[in-house]
Amino acid sequence: MLAPKPMSRVLIVASRDQAAPIVEELYREHLFHIEDYVEQGREGYEGFKIGSPLEGATEASTELIKVRAIENVFAIRGEDIYAKQILSQPEIHKKIETDLPGIEKEVEELAGARSKLDTKAKECEQKILELAPFLEIPVDLALLRGFRNFAVFAGYVSRDPSITIPHEMQVVKGKERSFALVVVPEKNRAEVERQLQEAQFQAVTIPEEDGTAKARTAYYTEQIVSLKKEIETINEKLAKIKDAHTDLLVACEEAFRAKIEQTEAPLRFATTSKVFVAEGWVPADNAKTLGAALDRVTGGKVFVSEQPVDPVHDNVPVEYNNPTFAKPAQMLMDIYSRPTYKEVDPTLVLAIMFPIFFGVIVGDVGYGLLMLALCIALWKFFKGDEARQFLKVLRNASIMSIIFGVLYSEFLGFECPWSPIIFSRHLNIGGEAGAHGAAITELLIVSVWVGILYVTLGRALGMINHARQDHGEHRMKAVLANFGWIAVMWGIIIAIWSMFPIPLMLDLTGLPIIAVGLSLGLIIAIVLIVMGVIFIARDSVLEIIEIPTIISHVLSYTRLTAVGLSSVAIAMVINYMAIGMFINPGMKDLSIVGIVMIIVGVLIFLLGHTFNLALGMLDGGLHSIRLHYVEFFTKFYKGGGRKYIPFGMKRRFTED
Amino acid sequence: MAVEAVAIAATDLASIQASQMGMKAIGAGLAVGLTGVGTGVAEMGIGAAAVGAIAENKDFFGLGLLFTVIPETIVIFGLVIALLLLF
Repeated sequence: MLAPKPMSRVLIVASRDQAAPIVEELYREHLFHIEDYVEQGREGYEGFKIGSPLEGATEASTELIKVRAIENVFAIRGEDIYAKQILSQPEIHKKIETDLPGIEKEVEELAGARSKLDTKAKECEQKILELAPFLEIPVDLALLRGFRNFAVFAGYVSRDPSITIPHEMQVVKGKERSFALVVVPEKNRAEVERQLQEAQFQAVTIPEEDGTAKARTAYYTEQIVSLKKEIETINEKLAKIKDAHTDLLVACEEAFRAKIEQTEAPLRFATTSKVFVAEGWVPADNAKTLGAALDRVTGGKVFVSEQPVDPVHDNVPVEYNNPTFAKPAQMLMDIYSRPTYKEVDPTLVLAIMFPIFFGVIVGDVGYGLLMLALCIALWKFFKGDEARQFLKVLRNASIMSIIFGVLYSEFLGFECPWSPIIFSRHLNIGGEAGAHGAAITELLIVSVWVGILYVTLGRALGMINHARQDHGEHRMKAVLANFGWIAVMWGIIIAIWSMFPIPLMLDLTGLPIIAVGLSLGLIIAIVLIVMGVIFIARDSVLEIIEIPTIISHVLSYTRLTAVGLSSVAIAMVINYMAIGMFINPGMKDLSIVGIVMIIVGVLIFLLGHTFNLALGMLDGGLHSIRLHYVEFFTKFYKGGGRKYIPFGMKRRFTED
Repeated sequence: MAVEAVAIAATDLASIQASQMGMKAIGAGLAVGLTGVGTGVAEMGIGAAAVGAIAENKDFFGLGLLFTVIPETIVIFGLVIALLLLF
């Protein structure tokens, strides 16, 4: 807790003929984060080269491409599918040998036939397009070509052409342009062409068809219908194959992918002609079992050793170590930055406090229930890991909103039947506030308390972080500087307490005056501030200019109240507009105008609350996370850790 | 005579109170409005730069968001002042 998982650096050495079983076992264990070997003449690695893939890499790649091609035909994606059955390794191998080639052949043939039919249908459509201009011409198209003494012109004209040569012409009037068919003696061709040009003639090729255009179009339309039918039958066949074999296909893809990853693993190892060396990271708890497992599969022909870890120079990959309920918050941590190996991991704080902040800001039973419903609805659509983590975060947040809604006694801006258990947030809008107005001062002071505690906690964690990570003279200075920040902050707070009485906080104004007109409180405050400033300056003098941020960061937490109240205000305004201004007057007089007013009122109510819900989610989420990122993390957290990616994969459709 | 004077004083008092309320409302509006403008101006440049950086490298999203919302504090202070003025 509050720290990443401890890691061990593991070195695996074995002869090259043991590579296959070792890689397979590592892949199965899904624990070993491989440190890629780079040929840079590292000390102790003279003469080592990058390894070459194991046997079967090429075959697996070809097969994978084939399987993916079929999946493309069916538009299947592994992520969207839930495995109905999980195939064991021998089963999948058997099916790859017996079933897969048949399916591949069948699908290939069907897809080929379908694309041929598709092409034919496209050709027919093209023909119909070509015939379209001639539809109104009741002449057999065969009679329009093949003359020796006549020239036939067909094309669009923008106005009626005037031709001086003896001719026969048919014009079909169109909206913008007309279609003209002109027959003239062959010897006058050139002259007619010129005359047609004047009418802005655009030639159209006469289709190579026998029969009238209408008849031919009908024929091609029929053709298309029958082609579509054939395509439909093929699609049905494909759909049957898809239904029957989807699980097998995704399982095969997974199996081949696993195979490829395994066969290509030696590309990341250091090898000589006889041996290979794999270096990597394993969670410390699992190091022993991994070693034992490797011993077992190779019959003891492997050397596994745990190396000392140097957390400063080794870039140790980081895996979170959190209780299950805090796991969704890891996503929020990754958005900022993963902690480094030696750093305090604040995921737990985030996991607990983010939903609470969200609840404090939104704090409405109605909105909470709506968000929960939205969350459940989206759960069905999003199946990816990250999306689900996000939905879990939203779920926790909406549950906290409901809880705080009960405490504030709020439902879509209305007051619930009970009076607020903690402070009231019911504003006096539209003259409808209850006997108790909003306890704004109290709410603001509570949020300032949250700020004070958060900043103190942040600086305390900063002390721990510097104590863990820094070395030498700087370490003590940095720790003291963080303590200095706490001292300055509390000094300022005590000074304020000694001068002004504030509700819900200590009142130190009554303390006796000790010297030079200063009370005991003020003297303590001055001592704390001066001590703090000295500690800060010893670490870095420039930091002194940052001291005012203490006040702004603490006061920044008042947003917990302010943003929440603005959301309450919007909800109450919507209610007042919808009910007070439209629905109630409408109910008094149930004429047509009254009914229209009621409908408008209901619309305002629905649209307004949808808008406020969206705003509430955005505000609640963004401000809660920002209070952590900006005001909390900047005090102690740097991040920049490397993600722990163990060799292997989460198998979903197959098992070992 | 005396009764009249009291009545005039009472109406004066009521109108003074009403105008004080109005002044408070104007003050609250100015507090939120002006701080909102300030935040907007401040976030304009940061937001544009952050989106540019995120387009280059998606990992920058968290840090970009952080930088973009830093000036948000200004408008929150405005909101707090407005709330204190009004209620």
